[in-house]
Amino acid sequence: MNLESVIFTGIVLFIIGAAGFFLRGNAVVLLLCIEIMLNAVNLVLAGFARYLYGTEGQVFVLMIMTVAAAEAAVGLAIVVALRRLLGTTDMNRIHFLKG
Amino acid sequence: MMETILFWTLAGMAVLSALAVIAFRNPVNSVMALFVTLLVTAGIYLQMGAYGIALFQVIVYIGAVLVLFLFVVMILDLKTPGGWSVFSSRTLAMGTAGFLLAGGGAWFAWRAPGFPWTEAPAGAPGPGPAIREIALDLFTRHLLVFELTSVLLLAAAVGAVLIGRKERNRP
Repeated sequence: MNLESVIFTGIVLFIIGAAGFFLRGNAVVLLLCIEIMLNAVNLVLAGFARYLYGTEGQVFVLMIMTVAAAEAAVGLAIVVALRRLLGTTDMNRIHFLKG
Repeated sequence: MMETILFWTLAGMAVLSALAVIAFRNPVNSVMALFVTLLVTAGIYLQMGAYGIALFQVIVYIGAVLVLFLFVVMILDLKTPGGWSVFSSRTLAMGTAGFLLAGGGAWFAWRAPGFPWTEAPAGAPGPGPAIREIALDLFTRHLLVFELTSVLLLAAAVGAVLIGRKERNRP
């Protein structure tokens, strides 16, 4: 276990989250994929804080957790509003911005 | 050696459960798989000596965010016809091939001489920063960011209520 393996794990988790974001259509699962990506970034930051002897990494992790909680609250409110207004949460069937 | 085995076990579980998040068709199963991912990541934090981060991961992420997700999935009552997975076997095979190709390319780039990789500090790392140092850093140098975070949370709470409420007098 060293810095490279932590970074490698973070990269793989981020790729999985990004791939899921483009592959899936359900809005709730899209928010879950965002959580996976933020979690991967948290892992890399904590790894740097561990192996480069700094406290900034863990402070940044706390800030990212706060932003993730706020993002989840607003995102889920948007999903509930979408469901109420349009009757679906499938992003492939929502064409607001299509010209 | 034991530490390495434990780390790769946890990392493998994290990757597998993250794949399960995007593969399950039912959103409840996805939320439960993300639960495993976050819990295993908290285990990696513990192994790295970041005890405070592991604590907040369990309390904030699992205790608050994931329960919120579960509530919303329950409220929306999402119908999920079909099998357990959204991907066909052909898609899974193509994804595996793409992952192996990208991983092989990354491996060769990593091992190539002259790859611009700075050396990590040699030797076994000492104990990570204690939670006292993190708190001192957070409340002195990063105090402005900490206070701005409270403004962000207030804005997010008000915005979520405003978006999620039922509009009575829509034209």
